[in-house]
Amino acid sequence: MKILIVDDSKAMRMIVTRTLRQAGYGDHVFVEAVDGADGLAKVAGEAPDLVLSDWNMPEVTGIEFLRALRASGNDVRFGFVTSESTDAMRATAEQAGALFLIGKPFTAETFAEQLGAVLV
Amino acid sequence: MSTILGADDASVVTSAQITAIAQEVWESFLGRSLLPHPMGPHAPALEGQTVTGCVHVSGEWNGSVFLSCDSETAAAAAEAMFAADPGSLSSDEVSDALGELTNMVGGNIKSLLPAPSRLSVPTIAVGASGAVRIPGAVLLDRVVLLSDPGPLHISIWKV
Repeated sequence: MKILIVDDSKAMRMIVTRTLRQAGYGDHVFVEAVDGADGLAKVAGEAPDLVLSDWNMPEVTGIEFLRALRASGNDVRFGFVTSESTDAMRATAEQAGALFLIGKPFTAETFAEQLGAVLV
Repeated sequence: MSTILGADDASVVTSAQITAIAQEVWESFLGRSLLPHPMGPHAPALEGQTVTGCVHVSGEWNGSVFLSCDSETAAAAAEAMFAADPGSLSSDEVSDALGELTNMVGGNIKSLLPAPSRLSVPTIAVGASGAVRIPGAVLLDRVVLLSDPGPLHISIWKV
């Protein structure tokens, strides 16, 4: 399985990767993108099974990225990993087609719980 | 305990909440503890070269969250995030790490502020202590935490 990790922070992409391994997903393939624009290109080129995206990014934000995917007919499984986890954000994410929203900071247990529910 | 006044003058974020947010971020991603400075917001200002991360909140509440520390503390935090050897990171990588720490602390503080509002991407400035200014902004609160090796200053500004 291929997982696309989208975040403008190199440090956070590394932490997400590390946490995915700790959550038991170390045998999957990880691909990275630096913002929503790069994410769109990577989805087209890499055909990931799951996208984990930050929300607040330059160029194209996470929510813009998701909306562009859905508008193009791409229904790739998508979850947010973001520092803002209000009820309003979760509702916006769900309405746009996200399967979950993980707030930062997070734990491997949270990743296992959220991803386990969608990667069946 | 100092508080932040929101748009309707009701206190919406406390120093204890700011402290708890920073502590959770540091413990989760750096594996390090933060303790309140015994002098609280009256702790001495940072000296020498400092690194300041800043995010802006705009909308129902308008202001900024600053995260400041000395260069050694910023480097130590970045090395913990990257799981890197001491002295091995570039200045860009240190800035990236402090920017993400600022994003997480600021984003969680924003979640407690009046909504709706937007959070900017982080900005990083390196220079003398207090070199970063927002004209017209009012300092609402400052939390100083003991980090390793130096203190961490978190300040909330309202415009």
